[in-house]
Amino acid sequence: MQRRDFFKKLGSVTAVAAVMPVMSFAADAQPVSPNKMSYETAVNAITGGKTPTKSSKVSLKVPEIAENGAVVPVTVNVESPMTESDYVKSIHILNTKNGNSRCIDVNLTPANGKAMFSTRIKLGGTQDVVAVIELSNGEFLIASQNVKVTIGGCG
Amino acid sequence: MAERKSLIKIKPKRYKDGEVVKVSFMVMHPMDTGMGKDKKTKEIIPAKYINSVKFVYNGKEITNMTVWESLSVNPVFTTYMKINGKGKLTITYTDNTGEVHETSKKIKPKG
Repeated sequence: MQRRDFFKKLGSVTAVAAVMPVMSFAADAQPVSPNKMSYETAVNAITGGKTPTKSSKVSLKVPEIAENGAVVPVTVNVESPMTESDYVKSIHILNTKNGNSRCIDVNLTPANGKAMFSTRIKLGGTQDVVAVIELSNGEFLIASQNVKVTIGGCG
Repeated sequence: MAERKSLIKIKPKRYKDGEVVKVSFMVMHPMDTGMGKDKKTKEIIPAKYINSVKFVYNGKEITNMTVWESLSVNPVFTTYMKINGKGKLTITYTDNTGEVHETSKKIKPKG
């Protein structure tokens, strides 16, 4: 093989290699989440336009750094007497950047005895986890915390 | 042996009437979001996630949850419950493909 030919071939190979990743990305377009909902619409749908207030009554326990985004433990604890006249109506757990911003809506009754809920959620990347709480008198409380995710866990 | 699909755990194990106990409901479920892909065939895995969970104790609904696809694989739902006499706690889940599963546990307060 001539030196000139060799360089020509080398050039074509690198050109193909440079184009390939772009093509593969185009073919692998991310499928859209079935219940796509942004964070603002989700909060609006829950509160009905009211602005939730920050309160020290709500404690949201989420790890600050999650190594695996597929399993992030979340615990929400609300100080409440849980009597017939004054109780926590519902606890909503939201995220700010996943395809669907709503994780879970829990409707509680006075028969629970204690306003606490915990579960494990998936996070696609570094974002905030938010808890919106509805009280029986119509008030809304909010608590949020940023979570750093090293490996995303969606899909 | 049949595959265990769900489990109810109550803490503490021995409880009295009127006590507030911790109830955990664990489910074996894939919770596919409809966005993931099979690593070998590169095909999109269809969505299959739990839609709703209901806690019913002696015919009275205690808690109901609307669940979205952002929950982890094999989810755990933990909450509290006030013991109110002998009876049965039934937990039902429904998923988006129409699957319904029911688990129940006897409630026997001592003392």
